[in-house]
Amino acid sequence: MRDHILIHINGKPHRIDGDAAFETLANYLRRDVAATGTKIVCEEGDCGACTVLTRRSAEDDYRAVNSCILNLAQLDGSSIVTVEGLRDEKSLHPVQEAMVQCHGAQCGYCTPGFVVAMVGMFERCDRPCDRIDEKQVRDGLTGNLCRCTGYEPIIKAALAVDGAPAAKMRQRYPSLPDANDSVQVGTFCAPATLDEAIAFKREHPGCTIVQGGTDVGVWVNKRRYQAPAMLSLAKIDSLRELREEDGTVVVGANTTLADFEAFIADRIPELAGIMAIFGSPQIKNAGTLVGNIANGSPIGDTLPYLFVAGAVLELNGGARTVPIDRFYLGYRKFDLQPDEIITRVRIGIVRDTLKLYKVSRRKDLDISAFTAAIRLAMTGDRIDRAGIAYGGVAPTVIRLPRTEAFLTGKSATLETFEQAGRIARSEIKPISDVRGSADYRLQLAENIMTKFWYEVFGETTTPRLAHA
Amino acid sequence: MPSVGKNIPHDSAVGHVSGESVYIDDMAPLRGELIVDFVWSPVAHGRIRGIDLEAARALPGIAGLFTYRDLHHNLFGAIIQDEFLLAEDVVSFIGHPIVVIAAESRAAIRAAKAAITIDIEELEPVFTIDEAKKRGLFIGKTMTIQRGDVTSAFASAKNILEGTFVNGGQDHFYLESQAALAVPGEFDQLTVHSSTQNPSEVQDVIAHLLGLPINKVVVVTKRMGGGFGGKECQATHPAAIAALVAHKLKRPARIAYGKDDDMCVTGGRHPFQNDYKVAFDDDGVITAAQIDFYSDGGAFADLSTSVLGRALTHADNAYYLPNALIRGTVCRLNYPPNTAFRGFGGPQGIATIETILEEIAVVLKKDPLEIRRRNCYGIDERNTTPYGQVVRNNHLPHLFDQIAERGDYHERVAQVASFNAASRTHLRGIACTAVKFGISFNTKFLNQANALVNVYLDGSVQVSTGATEMGQGVNTKIRQIVADEFGIDAERVQLMATSTEKNNNTSATAASSGADLNGGAAADACRKIRTRMAGVAAEYFERVAGIEQSADEIIFENGDVFDRRNFAQRVPFPALVKMCHLERVSVGERGFYSTQGLDWDADKGCGAPFLYFTQGTAISEVEIDRFTGMMDVRRIDMLMDIGKPINPGIDRGQITGAFIQGMGWLTNEEMRYDAKGNLLSHSPTTYKIPNIQDLPPVFNVDWIDAENPLNIRSSKAVGEPPLVLAISVWMAVKNALSYLSGGTIPKLYAPATGEEILMRMTEYRHAARGADAREVAAPQM
Repeated sequence: MRDHILIHINGKPHRIDGDAAFETLANYLRRDVAATGTKIVCEEGDCGACTVLTRRSAEDDYRAVNSCILNLAQLDGSSIVTVEGLRDEKSLHPVQEAMVQCHGAQCGYCTPGFVVAMVGMFERCDRPCDRIDEKQVRDGLTGNLCRCTGYEPIIKAALAVDGAPAAKMRQRYPSLPDANDSVQVGTFCAPATLDEAIAFKREHPGCTIVQGGTDVGVWVNKRRYQAPAMLSLAKIDSLRELREEDGTVVVGANTTLADFEAFIADRIPELAGIMAIFGSPQIKNAGTLVGNIANGSPIGDTLPYLFVAGAVLELNGGARTVPIDRFYLGYRKFDLQPDEIITRVRIGIVRDTLKLYKVSRRKDLDISAFTAAIRLAMTGDRIDRAGIAYGGVAPTVIRLPRTEAFLTGKSATLETFEQAGRIARSEIKPISDVRGSADYRLQLAENIMTKFWYEVFGETTTPRLAHA
Repeated sequence: MPSVGKNIPHDSAVGHVSGESVYIDDMAPLRGELIVDFVWSPVAHGRIRGIDLEAARALPGIAGLFTYRDLHHNLFGAIIQDEFLLAEDVVSFIGHPIVVIAAESRAAIRAAKAAITIDIEELEPVFTIDEAKKRGLFIGKTMTIQRGDVTSAFASAKNILEGTFVNGGQDHFYLESQAALAVPGEFDQLTVHSSTQNPSEVQDVIAHLLGLPINKVVVVTKRMGGGFGGKECQATHPAAIAALVAHKLKRPARIAYGKDDDMCVTGGRHPFQNDYKVAFDDDGVITAAQIDFYSDGGAFADLSTSVLGRALTHADNAYYLPNALIRGTVCRLNYPPNTAFRGFGGPQGIATIETILEEIAVVLKKDPLEIRRRNCYGIDERNTTPYGQVVRNNHLPHLFDQIAERGDYHERVAQVASFNAASRTHLRGIACTAVKFGISFNTKFLNQANALVNVYLDGSVQVSTGATEMGQGVNTKIRQIVADEFGIDAERVQLMATSTEKNNNTSATAASSGADLNGGAAADACRKIRTRMAGVAAEYFERVAGIEQSADEIIFENGDVFDRRNFAQRVPFPALVKMCHLERVSVGERGFYSTQGLDWDADKGCGAPFLYFTQGTAISEVEIDRFTGMMDVRRIDMLMDIGKPINPGIDRGQITGAFIQGMGWLTNEEMRYDAKGNLLSHSPTTYKIPNIQDLPPVFNVDWIDAENPLNIRSSKAVGEPPLVLAISVWMAVKNALSYLSGGTIPKLYAPATGEEILMRMTEYRHAARGADAREVAAPQM
């Protein structure tokens, strides 16, 4: 078993031994490599100032991630490009040049993150990427905060870029460390096989599985979280699966949220709509769907859908299965044995009437105050079966059995859904917190049923606001 | 080709995009450098009974622990000296520094924090303006601006309206958190690299707190990763704390706040709670206004009295108030001291009068823009502010008329009304508001600046001023001004880091006036040098071409110097520099600028505090989800008078950035506290500044072609005024609610979060259906 970490930074190999492996990439860049272009601001993946590009295998593109919440150990085998690696000796990268000419930088502190994220948008192999349109710019930069410009000049800069003359980073920095083997540094282990992973977890009770690290990295930074041991599944190739099978989507533990989002775009468009405002590209490029499930936050944005779609978790490669609505026993308490690992999730493709809702202070990249999934099986205008899941109103995402029972057999009138809203309100006891008061959540819980009625059965003439 | 007026890139842009620009925490560690942090009060109000540092002192890696006893002085403050850098016996906000830790490593800092025990007896805190008013807890005295006789105007009024405007605070959320690096020198000297808008104040405070003459301290500011007012006064604390360590231990000392800590311990924009009463005729023309401002100053004065002063002088905004009684009081609460924030009280004053105009329209069932237009300052009459300053070069009537036309205002108002009548699911609102922002520090003596200009033998130029660069492009503008003074390319002009060694006793880079004041000073220095160089050139041209000597005829243009009477005979600028050097004529100079014509009596609340006004109008349209309260801005149109921009690209960036920042304040940015006064929204996960998706799909920004002969190169200050135009977004929400409020004035607090909007809509729905209809779920249709 290898006992050190291998990464490449701007094409140069780095070997990291011992405790240093637990340093965040951002700190390593700034303190050890003296590459201070990468900035640290929020240390929780919400501002994007620390954005770098990473690539793990020859098939991958370079993708933007937040270097402040990734530790070096997790990145074993990766090649990394920082803002310092973008320009060549003679000239700036076209993205950099456009940002200069369009006044895309004012104070400059967020600028390296924006520039790297923007370069990442021109690295995608799955679409022509010499030019990007305004929607792509906005979607691609939701993970970068700027306090100076109001974003207008940054959008202009992105639209002005001709990516064609730029050498793609995968051509500039094609090399990857030779690091497909199992590695263990201190209490961190990234095995190459599932059996090794299960064995490690058994031997280390309380072990935390860290995939994208988009939650764990924040706990470490903000709460000084110290796991007794950390396990990464990233090297287990079999867990990268993502396919459709018998009306379900099968998602392996290594599938990133970004890949999942692309895969369901046409298969489960309603869920893809939620994924679009779920998190930043940086988070979705690092985080995994199974990680979102295993984290078990009561406001996990994918969970209401998974609840009403009857998702099933497979543990230890199928040794045991658990329906998702029985997996959560309480606030971050799970039906999961110490030696069990969620290896995949099987998600039904809902073809019934379905709407998903996410209410947050800011529309994009914000943790929800309230989430909901409402699914109806209908015959004519009669409701045969209702599936309703709410998030943000209890310690876990919950189903609303009384509301579901009330709706069953009813015809879909406005009065029925108004009544359903009042029942839903009476079924929950939300708390007040930084994201909203209990009253606010109760009102949302009630109103969302009526909103659903209008969207599905009501007028369709109201033009919806579309972002340019 | 003159450089001024050209859209050249920011002078640091290439460094910014390539990651080469250096901020405080990017500076390479120095030999022996210590990491500095502090332990702060965990309670909002309390008495310190004891501090136990013994366990922490014994820890490995701890170089020093300091309390107020280690300071020569502890009390300071920019206006009122009421602030203790390190708490003595009383703590008065969560975040108040108590013990300074200097350590070899971050791990040691963490260990020390855990090992230090502070015994605090909790005292009753004050968390609301109402409570402070009840207890008489104020900072400074009540300020008054008065004109005419409101009492008799109210007595004879046709209509009277009363209400209260309430706004929340705002965190600056500069991306670079507070930071400083203090380096000890010989003979008690200190060099402090500080991310500050106000190097001279940092210098003065450090000297004062450490008991040093001011000349022992040099403060250097290369750049800030954003300031927005947050580093006008409150960059002083980290700098002083690092300086204390460096001075005591004779080792370099660096402090860099984490974002969460920064948001918890520093103050922000002032919450206000303003009671108003206005009289108006049936046409909506205001005959009298009485406004009582109350601001939440936090625990210490900081700049609160000055911020209040600007709120009072902006209570009129674009509107003529024939009889006015405008009073203001700062309340002392147990929160971090609130401080300068882009707009500096102006936004709170303006939001109040804009609210009043909107509400008059509701009462009279008239179009709000029509009401605004009727009350707008005139060109030749009805053009004196309540404090007695005449509004000269007034473009407001034109700006109102133009924005209405460009923004299709009347057509869209009709569309909004028909949309709201038809839609069961969404609600729209539209509003037009204005800004008239006074330029100059309200405090007269601050309106001065000095600059140092050095010309080198190759004709390249270094410029140092008291202006600090925080992204706003002041250095680029000064670069352009200097380039034009010498008739050379801007590339030949290098702006240097701001240093108190080069420029003494400078004012903060604030009040939008950085380029006005420092650009003026730099131009003055250039003109002095140019005059001497012209003399040398005139001699030369007489010698070589027989042109009669006249320095007045010498032109500096396109890199050459020539006599206007003989274009053909030219000397390249660098050659003339060399000539001067050989002739022993100095090509270095210090310039000075002070704003003329200011006259302000703060005690009487009258005079002419401003050199000129930057003006503008904006229309915003919003759409609200009737079920969730979530709001989208559909379209924004802005039209401003910003004079002749020195750099149009930079000014445009100021406008767009300020507007979106103001929109954040009034929509999604909310300082949420728990019952103990702990800030809950202390990082971007919970404190939501606008992101790229919040930029509206239609965002039209323009300015009129207008001169401003009062200011350098006919330009106008632009940093703060556009922020105020974001009030139109909040007002559009208020306008939308007026479709639900059944003829009553729709109430709305700022910020108009989704929660605030939903709860207001729910209230009106219930009211519309009767008190017993609380359980009804559907929104009003």
